Amino acid sequence: MSSSTIDYGKTKTFLIDTTKCTGCRGCQVACKQWNQLKGEKTTFFTGEGYQNPPQMSEFTFTRVKFKDYEKHGQNEFAFYKEMCMHCNDPACASVCPVGAFHKTPEGPVIYNAKKCIGCRFCMVACPFGVPKYEWSKAFPLVKKCTGCYSRVKNGLHPACATACPTAITYGSRDEMLKEAEKRMAAKPDRYFKVIYGKEEAGGTSVLYLTQQPLDELGFRPVTKRPLPSYTWQALRFVPGIFLTVGGTLSLVTWFQHRKDRVRREEEERNNRKEGNQ
Amino acid sequence: MTAARIVINEIKGYHRFIKFMMVLVGAAALASAVRFIFGLGATTNLNDLYPWGLWISFDVVTAVPLAAGAFTIGIVAHVFHIKKLEPLVRPAIVTGFLGYSLVCVGLLLDLGQPQRGPYVLFNWNVHSPMFEVSMCVMAYTTVLFLEFLHPVSERFGWHIPLRLLRTLELPFAILAAMISTLHQSTLGTFFLIAVDKLHNLWYNPLLPLQFWLSAIFTGLSIVIFEASLVHKYMGQPDESDLLATLTKIIPWIMGVYMLVKVYALAFLSHGPLFDRPVLTALFSVEVVVGLLIPFSMFLTKRIRTDKQMQLRAASLVITGLVLNRFNVSMFAMHQPGQPAYFPNFIESVVTIGIIAAHILFFVLVAKYFPIFEHHPEATDYTIPDRFRKIEQHGEGHGKASEA
Ligand code: SF4
Ligand code: SF4
Ligand code: SF4
Repeated sequence: MSSSTIDYGKTKTFLIDTTKCTGCRGCQVACKQWNQLKGEKTTFFTGEGYQNPPQMSEFTFTRVKFKDYEKHGQNEFAFYKEMCMHCNDPACASVCPVGAFHKTPEGPVIYNAKKCIGCRFCMVACPFGVPKYEWSKAFPLVKKCTGCYSRVKNGLHPACATACPTAITYGSRDEMLKEAEKRMAAKPDRYFKVIYGKEEAGGTSVLYLTQQPLDELGFRPVTKRPLPSYTWQALRFVPGIFLTVGGTLSLVTWFQHRKDRVRREEEERNNRKEGNQ
Repeated sequence: MTAARIVINEIKGYHRFIKFMMVLVGAAALASAVRFIFGLGATTNLNDLYPWGLWISFDVVTAVPLAAGAFTIGIVAHVFHIKKLEPLVRPAIVTGFLGYSLVCVGLLLDLGQPQRGPYVLFNWNVHSPMFEVSMCVMAYTTVLFLEFLHPVSERFGWHIPLRLLRTLELPFAILAAMISTLHQSTLGTFFLIAVDKLHNLWYNPLLPLQFWLSAIFTGLSIVIFEASLVHKYMGQPDESDLLATLTKIIPWIMGVYMLVKVYALAFLSHGPLFDRPVLTALFSVEVVVGLLIPFSMFLTKRIRTDKQMQLRAASLVITGLVLNRFNVSMFAMHQPGQPAYFPNFIESVVTIGIIAAHILFFVLVAKYFPIFEHHPEATDYTIPDRFRKIEQHGEGHGKASEA
């Protein structure tokens, strides 16, 4: 579980300006290299449009989505780099029975493969569909973008952010939000008026700027509340309910058995010999 | 004759049905071996879109409420002290124990790293519903095991444990209810994290409460179901007058459940409710077949005496619960436009085998241990046994009291 003492404003955050993305997929390649991920055999047009591979997987932590659209009668592309959002209050961390995920004070949400029992609840819980499973193995583990934690810890920027020539800016969350707002104010025509990730899932360490409305680009509509609060509103009652049920049932037992005892004693008094059953 | 010979001869004498169940269990064991050799990806239809499939939906999410008979009848018979229901308790405990043991088996099969199962005990994450359910299932399986030792000790005439177990019977019943309340409801909490995924017809903050209530009335229905079948096929005494008591309790809980469901649907869900025809149909079947019809059956006078009707109503309730759990954990989690998930051959064989194992072990336990010949007039529940009963029957307890 993430500790609530993290100052989210200071956590390292990606600002991904999709209007500046050229679709070069340098980030995709850099990520594969840095994380030493195997290549996947894929064919074009198995997913939507030109994107390849068709989805993130155990071998692909990030991927550039291509979206065709029409502008002034011309075909245009929009690109969108998909990756772990490194939520401030991550659903994956809250549901994991062994606490294999946690939000680091630096920003990345990281996974401890040594703890994981493989229940896959994190995959069900993540609102962005990020954690992927090693389906190819007999004893699989979960795989997802690490936020390049080992690099960040040592003062470097993540591999994908370093490789990106145009679109990715990396810095503290406060600064990135300020930067995003500055850009939106400077060129109001260029940007759709929402920063994806500012409030999604209670705020994330990946922020997106877009030109098109978010749903048209295939961004998932996600609740603004931190997801763990949805389960916690039920789970926080657990100790109370446990004791209440126990207490109530004990009282009922005592009462019911007393009734019985009283009745039996009466019977006994009436009929001494047959009284004890 | 060697021991193996005795066992083989014994098995040869079994009914054809039992042998068939054995074959199914064997097939499931083979299938699970295949799963461990080739991995989940190769042997199941699970993938990144459907990380949970039939094994979670049935073997865990559905099987747990189906095994709720033990704790519900425990409350009714011991806590509310309706002594005449005592004969129903032991079969329910056996069913519960088998049910939970098989839940554990199912869960281990589904885990990617089953050998790490015990890690849950050392890495607590109290924010995780899965943590809570795992702890509860482990704790409750232990309690059920201890309760199950009761007929075992009786069978072998172990006096001291028996005496201890007698004393603990009541505390165990209460503990069982406490633990069950937690994990039955928390199974509902599982799906509270699936905001924007689980369809609005089922997603609402009262899901845990609904899971708990439906587990209670289904648990009692299971007791009816089982007692009726055992009477029909295993030649045990007709308990329908005892079951009549249960048929009076069930509609109350069902009523509360339906009120909660309607309230949650009307006031607590967000977004469109009837926008997906398939889900609307599933919802209607669940409500009509699983709730309204059995509810009205339980309200009639006839059900107090009519064995057939008791069985039919209980079966409908159970069907409704199974459908409800599948709706929540599988059908309504499906996103429009995604390819659909169907369990493949291996997944189905394993789940069928788990059901068969339940029936098989129940029949075998009933064959070798005194789980039915346990009538209130023969035992005093408020005072620990003073060795009297057991010394009378000794080793041949089962047969002696049957005669
Ligand atoms: S996007 Fe998903 S995997 Fe990444 S931190 Fe958030 S919940 Fe976890
Ligand atoms: S699959 Fe592993 S990391 Fe994911 S919730 Fe389960 S134990 Fe945690
Ligand atoms: S942060 Fe690191 S792991 Fe994540 S997408 Fe970028 S390069 Fe890959």
